[in-house]
Amino acid sequence: MFRRLISCSASPAVRRSAVLAGAAIIGFSLSGMVRAETLTVWDDHDSESRAAVMAELNGRFKEAHPDITLDHTIRDFADLNMTLKLAVSSGDGPDVTKVNQGAGAMGLMVKEHLLVPVDDFIAEYGWDKNQSESLLARDRWSDKGEFGVGPTYGISSLAEIVGLYYNEKVLADAGVELPLKSFEDLKAAADKIKEAGKTPFMIGTAKGHLTLHMLAGITQAHIDASDRKALDDLVYGHGGTFDTPGNVESAKIVQDWAQDGYFFNGYQGISGDDAVQLFVSGEGAFLISGTWYFGDMKANPDIHFMPIPGPKGVEHPLSVGGVDLAWAITSIAKEDGTKALAGEYINYMVSEDAAVTWAKAGYLPASSVPADADIEVTPLLSEGIKIWKSLNENNAIGHYPDWASPTMLKTFDDNTPLLLAGQETPQELIDKLDADYQAYMKSK
Amino acid sequence: MSRSPLDAKVSSNLIFILPGLLIYGSLVFGPIIAALVLSLTSWNGISAPDWIGFGNYISLIADEVFFKSLKNNAILMIFYCAVPVCLGVALAALVWNLKQKEQLALRTLLFLPYIMPTAVLGIIWHWLYNPAFGPFNQALKLVGLGDYALPWLGDFTFVLPAVGIVASWYFFGFCMVLFLSGMQRIDPSLFEAAKVDGARGIRTFFFITLPLLLPEIRIALLLTIIASIKSFDLIFTMTRGGPANATLVPNIYMYQLGFQLNRYGYAAAVAIVGAILIFVVNYAVHRLVRPNHAGDAS
Repeated sequence: MFRRLISCSASPAVRRSAVLAGAAIIGFSLSGMVRAETLTVWDDHDSESRAAVMAELNGRFKEAHPDITLDHTIRDFADLNMTLKLAVSSGDGPDVTKVNQGAGAMGLMVKEHLLVPVDDFIAEYGWDKNQSESLLARDRWSDKGEFGVGPTYGISSLAEIVGLYYNEKVLADAGVELPLKSFEDLKAAADKIKEAGKTPFMIGTAKGHLTLHMLAGITQAHIDASDRKALDDLVYGHGGTFDTPGNVESAKIVQDWAQDGYFFNGYQGISGDDAVQLFVSGEGAFLISGTWYFGDMKANPDIHFMPIPGPKGVEHPLSVGGVDLAWAITSIAKEDGTKALAGEYINYMVSEDAAVTWAKAGYLPASSVPADADIEVTPLLSEGIKIWKSLNENNAIGHYPDWASPTMLKTFDDNTPLLLAGQETPQELIDKLDADYQAYMKSK
Repeated sequence: MSRSPLDAKVSSNLIFILPGLLIYGSLVFGPIIAALVLSLTSWNGISAPDWIGFGNYISLIADEVFFKSLKNNAILMIFYCAVPVCLGVALAALVWNLKQKEQLALRTLLFLPYIMPTAVLGIIWHWLYNPAFGPFNQALKLVGLGDYALPWLGDFTFVLPAVGIVASWYFFGFCMVLFLSGMQRIDPSLFEAAKVDGARGIRTFFFITLPLLLPEIRIALLLTIIASIKSFDLIFTMTRGGPANATLVPNIYMYQLGFQLNRYGYAAAVAIVGAILIFVVNYAVHRLVRPNHAGDAS
């Protein structure tokens, strides 16, 4: 009934009220208990546009719950990662929080019983009807510390695809024909742009993780969805190795591009965000990163988005991605009333109403947007939604490789600059990644 | 004359220093002891720590990244200590001979960087060095030196000097002011006597000024060495220890180990070794840079 309510052709305001009222009713019936008066929430929506969306959503949630106080704190990704575990373990953290999936954050918090499973809320609110099994698996941790199985500890509101941003005008000026159908086409286009005296790839490595996105994106684009098991096993901690010919080859491609001047001159001294701003201003033909930059990229109508194309013969190449940090309930929410309110809050954050709000701001929601939603979708977002749908249908959403171990992100950060500078061979990089992974597997 | 209650025995006055002692103890000694104990454990910051004795210290001996951070710190000491002290002495000697108004203006101007928080300076210089937007590279390109417009904070060869220069710029004005105050302490008759004996500029500087400035030089060295070993904010805001640990120093390594990798016991061991280093190096400075009291006019 709840879903029927929001799929009817009521006005957005009526629909919104119905969603919130429905959530409130279910919340009461779930708990049948004393309601919490204050709900403490932490999230990582630190950019201006994302913070504005959160302010809007929180405002609406407050309207529907005038009797509660919403204590909302925004922290950047690094700050959230750094402080969340300590705050919750000391009993002074949030009731509801965004938490990074993977061994370093969610895995560790589950192990220490700092997060509460949300399976009851999934069943009650039907979150599994809005998001695929493969997405929800990214928030699952077993009691034995296995990733991808066991109780579910969170759910995300935004989808993420790491793909290829391209500037149509720069490509046209260099005589590159679109669409790029294969990875070979991408390499040929990069060569052509270089010959035309332009920068093929905009990238910045001083801060951010654009190198990781490029490396992982290229590697996974070479894996067909039907052959994804080895990658799933690797990231979910079932075993495997980083030392594969595909990983070495991808590292070599990226190193060659860096050494041969395919990257923006001075890329080592600018951050990923700087690179995005330069790309938006028309510098460079391609930029490999995620859909979270849609909000910035929409400023330049020549910029479009596509999955990194796979080589010929790979029918459904994987795209790195999944979902943003998950909304989760912490052990701070001890009282049943607080847990129920936390469940209501998360339910609203992953609702279709919230999805429409995110879509209006140019972001790609993880939950489906109603077909009759009154929004003007930007061309970029329209491309993103189409790609997201296709990737889900083909089970072709890959993984962030840094989820594989708690230290993997640092191992990437410590070694990729050496790879790009030619101070480390592709095999040496892969050996270090694999050594990190095997050490973690041994320690489990 | 009546005695003040404060002239009583220490034990009787203990009550007066107790509040301060308690605050100092809880905010300084407490954390030091806690870090010491933590360094003997394996602790992820959440669950109960496991006692491992000197395991963390033994691991440190074989930790290449830790030694790299020490090496970086040693190189940075040149920029934190040697350059500011040398530049400070030279500038003090020059400014000393100026008229009072010019001296005041220059002293204020050159001291200005020191009043800024180093984290703010780091952010500003990070922007100045930016190869795409920063004015340094724009200026180089403007005058036809585009080949020298490098990604300063991303270049393995130049990143450490690039960060170090900011530290030198921050400290040299402070050192100069310290030395100028030292010069005021020197008895003018010594300069007059040297003049009568035929000593001029450079000779007077090396044989009169410099030896008598040793107390100030020692203070400057102590403060800048401590600053270099405990350096964090400037490097963190400029490079976060990167690229690939090229500017990693023990304090940033400690931060990464603790707050990013959840290895709080090991991070505490790095902190303790850093503190020991400060004591050792400062003791060496105390012993090696000793003022010549025979020539001290004070």
